[in-house]
Amino acid sequence: MTLNLCILTPNRIVLDSEVKEIILSTNSGQIGVLPNHAPIATAIDTGILRIRLNDQWLTIALMGGFARMDNNEITILVNDAEKGSDIDPQEVQQALEIAEANLRKAEGKIQIIEANLALRQARTRVEAINAIS
Amino acid sequence: MAMAMAALRREGRRFAPMISPRPITALRSSPLAPSLEDECPIGVRYISTQVVRNRMKSVKNIQKITKAMKMVAASKLRAIQTKAENSRGLWQPFTALLGDLPSANVKKNVVVTISSDKGLCGGINSTSVKISKGLHKLNSGPEKETKYVILGEKAKAQLVRDSKKDIELIITELQKNPLNYTQVSVLADEILKNVEYDALRIVFNKFHSVVSFVPTVSTVLSPEIVEREAESGGKLGDLDSYEVEGGETKGEILQNLAEFQFSCVMFNAVLENACSEQGARMSAMDSSSRNAGDMLDRLTLTYNRTRQASITTELIEIISGASALEG
Repeated sequence: MTLNLCILTPNRIVLDSEVKEIILSTNSGQIGVLPNHAPIATAIDTGILRIRLNDQWLTIALMGGFARMDNNEITILVNDAEKGSDIDPQEVQQALEIAEANLRKAEGKIQIIEANLALRQARTRVEAINAIS
Repeated sequence: MAMAMAALRREGRRFAPMISPRPITALRSSPLAPSLEDECPIGVRYISTQVVRNRMKSVKNIQKITKAMKMVAASKLRAIQTKAENSRGLWQPFTALLGDLPSANVKKNVVVTISSDKGLCGGINSTSVKISKGLHKLNSGPEKETKYVILGEKAKAQLVRDSKKDIELIITELQKNPLNYTQVSVLADEILKNVEYDALRIVFNKFHSVVSFVPTVSTVLSPEIVEREAESGGKLGDLDSYEVEGGETKGEILQNLAEFQFSCVMFNAVLENACSEQGARMSAMDSSSRNAGDMLDRLTLTYNRTRQASITTELIEIISGASALEG
């Protein structure tokens, strides 16, 4: 029994394949989904998604969205998604440092919120790389 | 003899400015030559070829311009088409989950009309405006009301004339920077914040192929209405069977879901409309350059006829002058 997983972003389809199990992080914690799960509709926070196909775990960094599971079909709609294997470690380290610097410099509510968001996204991507290795 | 010819030529030039050029938009089946001769006062045997040559030059320029515009539109279309196709997969899960209910009976309707900023793109903007007006009429009554949110100059020009009081928000110059999701989601946010709505109906032209653009309406319902429809059963009845996680209350999730749905549907709608605009402009420019080519052919025939007539007249003058000298 496998799950048909489909990850969509506004710009492209990131993943469309069959997997054995997924672990995704929602606003209220992480949930693991195995085949024949009850139908759910959840909101996803900025975080990593772990997929297991054939005893191998893949990580994908997701930037917030929704997931829906029905009859072994999972559809994940997010603002942006990056596969762990596609992320360049040095570039992400730099992005993380820049995001942290921006947060320290930020003034005004809007800038602080934006800087926080960028920081979380950078952290997620770093986690995605670390999780595979 | 030489003076006679020079005098004729001068006369032709003197009378030339009196012939006013006809507007190019009118395509007549009768040849141009007789009508031009009618306008000349009697005494001038032919009109100057200069007039016809000027017209030919301007028609040729128009043909070149429209041909260039067609190619520009074709290249822009190619760029946007891939984006639009990629974004199509995005709103389908929403429709599968929440359904697209154009028949939902709600009190506050908001019609979001998407149109282009530039003209010369065929009839797509007029069809969008017609449908928006139709929706407005359909949904105005004792308890219901409809408001407009307008994207694009062309719809603004047409709707401001008769529905000024119903317009909530006008947004133009969308395509200044290449379209991307962040920009559209900010826009969607603006609309959601400033406009009260029970149902949002987005009117745009869906791009089926380079020659076919179908005006479509996508409906996004507000969370309260979704709840109401879910309870009454029907398509949305399955919604309750889903366990909803990831937040404190189901209502909060549905609210977020509705906002996300709106921004995804808007993104797709804006991209499809942009594709339709470029496609319509391509076909409009194509037909106008073809028309210009036809007109150029007819003008060439007229030009040749007038040129030959003037040569014949000169020859006759020479010969009659010569025979008058001899005899």
